[in-house]
Amino acid sequence: MATRFELVLDGEDEGRLRAVGELALETIAECERTISPFLSASLIARVNARAGKGWVEVDADTFTLLETAQAVRRESLGAFDVTVAPVMEALGFRERATADLAAARGAVGGDALLLDRERSAVRFAREDLSLDVGGVGKGHALELAREVLCEHGIERALLHGGTSTVVALGAPPAAEAWSVALGPEPDAPLAHLRDAALSVSASHGRTVPATDGTAGRGHIVDPHTGRPLAGGIAAAVIDTDARRADARSTALCLARLPFCDPDRAPLAWARAVRVGGVPRWERAATAERGPNRIEHRDPRHQHRAQTA
Amino acid sequence: MTDSDRRQFLSQAGGTLAAFAFQPDLAARRGLAGRDEPLPVALVGAGRQGRAILGELQKLEGARVVAVCDVLAGRLRSGLRRAQGARGYEDHRKLLEELGDAVDSVIVATPTHLHREVVIDALEAGKNVYCEAPLAHTTEDARAIAAAARAAGGVFATGLQGRSNPVYQLARSFYRSGCVRDLASMRAQDFKKQSWRTPASNPADEAALNWRLDPAISPGLPGELGTQQFDVFHYYRGEYPVSVRGRGGVFVHRDGREVPDTVTCELGFADGTSLFWEACLGNSYQGRYELLSGSMAAIKLAWSHAWMFKEADAPTQGWEVYANRQTFHNDEGITLIADATQLASQGKLKEGVGLPHAPLHYALEDYLVAAAGGGEPACGAAEGLRATVVGLLAQRAVTSGEEQAIDPALFEIG
Repeated sequence: MATRFELVLDGEDEGRLRAVGELALETIAECERTISPFLSASLIARVNARAGKGWVEVDADTFTLLETAQAVRRESLGAFDVTVAPVMEALGFRERATADLAAARGAVGGDALLLDRERSAVRFAREDLSLDVGGVGKGHALELAREVLCEHGIERALLHGGTSTVVALGAPPAAEAWSVALGPEPDAPLAHLRDAALSVSASHGRTVPATDGTAGRGHIVDPHTGRPLAGGIAAAVIDTDARRADARSTALCLARLPFCDPDRAPLAWARAVRVGGVPRWERAATAERGPNRIEHRDPRHQHRAQTA
Repeated sequence: MTDSDRRQFLSQAGGTLAAFAFQPDLAARRGLAGRDEPLPVALVGAGRQGRAILGELQKLEGARVVAVCDVLAGRLRSGLRRAQGARGYEDHRKLLEELGDAVDSVIVATPTHLHREVVIDALEAGKNVYCEAPLAHTTEDARAIAAAARAAGGVFATGLQGRSNPVYQLARSFYRSGCVRDLASMRAQDFKKQSWRTPASNPADEAALNWRLDPAISPGLPGELGTQQFDVFHYYRGEYPVSVRGRGGVFVHRDGREVPDTVTCELGFADGTSLFWEACLGNSYQGRYELLSGSMAAIKLAWSHAWMFKEADAPTQGWEVYANRQTFHNDEGITLIADATQLASQGKLKEGVGLPHAPLHYALEDYLVAAAGGGEPACGAAEGLRATVVGLLAQRAVTSGEEQAIDPALFEIG
């Protein structure tokens, strides 16, 4: 995370809206302290330090986060994997860069992440496992914030974390849905959201400088190879749950997911390849339902429709 | 030896000297981890502070939350989500009665005006108690709590976090060793942009949740926020102010509230020095800090960090030449780092610049160690009572517009 979160709340009583917004932001800050891979005192750091030796209990929200991450890992055949931490560290995305990428790659393996729902506990089947939930963290924080808003009767709101993960409650007055452009280009597709979440992942997002003088490394890393995804790939997912949208957009950058079960498919999704610095968004046949959809505005892309 | 080797060596040697001369080591702190059985803990009050407490307890070895209590169902649900396997209660008396010896410690994080009843019931049930600061919204209640704690004889801790904060303890050792020399000025502030309103999911709960904005029961900014910071000066100086003046108003959140959102207080000490304290809910610039300035140095404390700013004519002790520094406008501060020895030996001094945990974590840890038989907590009932009295008199000074004498008789437990 370590990013900016913003909320837009719509309603009548400004003082009350501010108070609810403050509570939601406090919840996001608490979430950061719980799951941040950058904080040595976070709960995830504690899990990383101890789960190789025995079960570590976690709160219900963190357990849900890990369950969602594991579900997307299975669905994506490992393209999304929160045990990618050693590789992220080796590549310099954490404070201490470790040199041995090969060893780090060998330490990745979500199969060894064991979850006990009854005890709300986590255990590593291998001692060298380590979690980095950054790929699902913003979605998790926004889900917790959404719960706060719903609990306090907020019906119309738009929340985002780092502009790449968005949660919509209801719709703006006199509109069917909130509309969010998928990029700064004037003809970038529009995501329409109503009681749904959007996540956009792109290999050209955050980078770390390469030590060999080549271009910086993108932050989406293939857990199988330990290599950062080459530049130019982006993916957008609209889903009912921001955690799942977050994880799925990362996975979708790395793999073409089948999403063949309509009950489990995202509400809408799309992939883009940058050509000459401009993203070319592919239309995807999806289970678009209700107002939640991705509207492609560039006529050149209309013929690129393809089935998933 | 290369230049960088030499710097590294001196940095490590410097860290060693600083720690040898002045103190502590997080690693050497009393710990809970060695207990056979986790200490069973109950939390009463699952609001913002209660939830923060549950978050920290989750990270503490040797303690287990077995019950959470709150009169509001939503808060109770939210608290229980953070405490796997804990039982939920709406009434703390029922909790004490049903759980009996299955609870060792009760942590009280209810609204301040409700502390007295919960604390005294818990003490009478034979429990060790940690009570958030301030102890109460009246001096009478605070004294009743302190008296009950003394009579009960178990462990009682007040949640004044400066006293258990490793960085504050370290900086205090510098202060007490005379680094500041002649103390001339004391300043502190708590600035945050926050409405101080708590939204209710059920409108019927609105008034109860917004007790901090009810002039009849709210300790105001001086009581709720100032008490923590005033106590830092008590802790450092080993003495208490003798008078307090204050003023304040509603300058930002003009929503009909009467409790000031901006306050200034001047606390006078017997030697003629003053502590100037400000709190504001309309601006967050520089947040929360305390500053003690003397003829040889100033020490700035900011809860997770601390710095020392030495005057040009202050004697150099050697170690500080290679210490970490941070620049603030025209000044350069030496960062005071808890656990410097160990970090220096590992070449990780930079990583220790800030405390890894929130100050609340150390306060809870300190209390739990004491409750587990590890001695006295860093802040007991007597210190809690004194700080509460000072905070409440500061609030009275603001609301009355009149200077308040701080009668030491009010500090007596009775």
